[in-house]
Amino acid sequence: MGRKTSPSPVEKGYQELQKKHELKRPVFKNCIRAFLVGGFICTIGQAITYFYIYYFDFTEQTAGNPTVATMIFLSMLLTGFGVYDHIGQFAGAGSAVPVTGFGNSVISAAIEHRTEGMVLGVGGNMFKLAGTVLLFGVFSAFIVALVRTLLTMWGVL
Amino acid sequence: MQQVNPEPAQVEGNNKKDKKLALKVKRDIQSLPQIYDVAVVRGKKDTLVVYKVKHMHRMRMKQIEKDINKMLEKNYPKENFTVSSDFKIFIEAIELKDKMENQSYSEKEAEEKLQKVIELKKAMT
Repeated sequence: MGRKTSPSPVEKGYQELQKKHELKRPVFKNCIRAFLVGGFICTIGQAITYFYIYYFDFTEQTAGNPTVATMIFLSMLLTGFGVYDHIGQFAGAGSAVPVTGFGNSVISAAIEHRTEGMVLGVGGNMFKLAGTVLLFGVFSAFIVALVRTLLTMWGVL
Repeated sequence: MQQVNPEPAQVEGNNKKDKKLALKVKRDIQSLPQIYDVAVVRGKKDTLVVYKVKHMHRMRMKQIEKDINKMLEKNYPKENFTVSSDFKIFIEAIELKDKMENQSYSEKEAEEKLQKVIELKKAMT
């Protein structure tokens, strides 16, 4: 790290000029878009849950697993066809936070590295982004399960 | 709020004691302010109690289930209850009740179906 020095008058002037011309992020508009698109994705998920409850032997409690699998599969297809990129650009976090964002991150990394070969390219980089989700998901689940087991053993729960 | 509010049903159609018990259980559960729709199916040994919870009380579903279990155990200590607030179990209970109204549906079939629904309720994955 370099030494921290106070900016010179020229630098200060430049920073002010940059601030003046910098485009302001439309935070509120982005939030509204994320809310609407994220909500729409969750509505589709709810519809799929009801589909599994009505037509298959899944209860409210067990219908979550096939719903998540279906949503991930759909987002993978949409990523492959190039549709999800547009949704992501429009909605931002609204398309990344639901579980569909996971499918998108897997397939987009696979497509990006396709030219490097099937094994070292696709296979090696497929979980470049989603790997962190899996790692910390499994790790935090382990920690929570451990805490719960201990609390149950001690008779707190 | 849209309600189905089905009549309580019993596998042994002519058993008046069962009918009375099912009706009493239904009224007991319905008296709770958090609940708006109750279905009771009385089997030979087990009784299935399914209910719907009002939206604003859904955050306390586990506590409500605990309270109902406690209340039923206290009021009917000799009976064996399966209590659920699951929508699928509710649909299955209504379906079973409708089938039981059909004369060609035997008591044995009804009991088998009830046991299947109870098993479905217990499924975790």
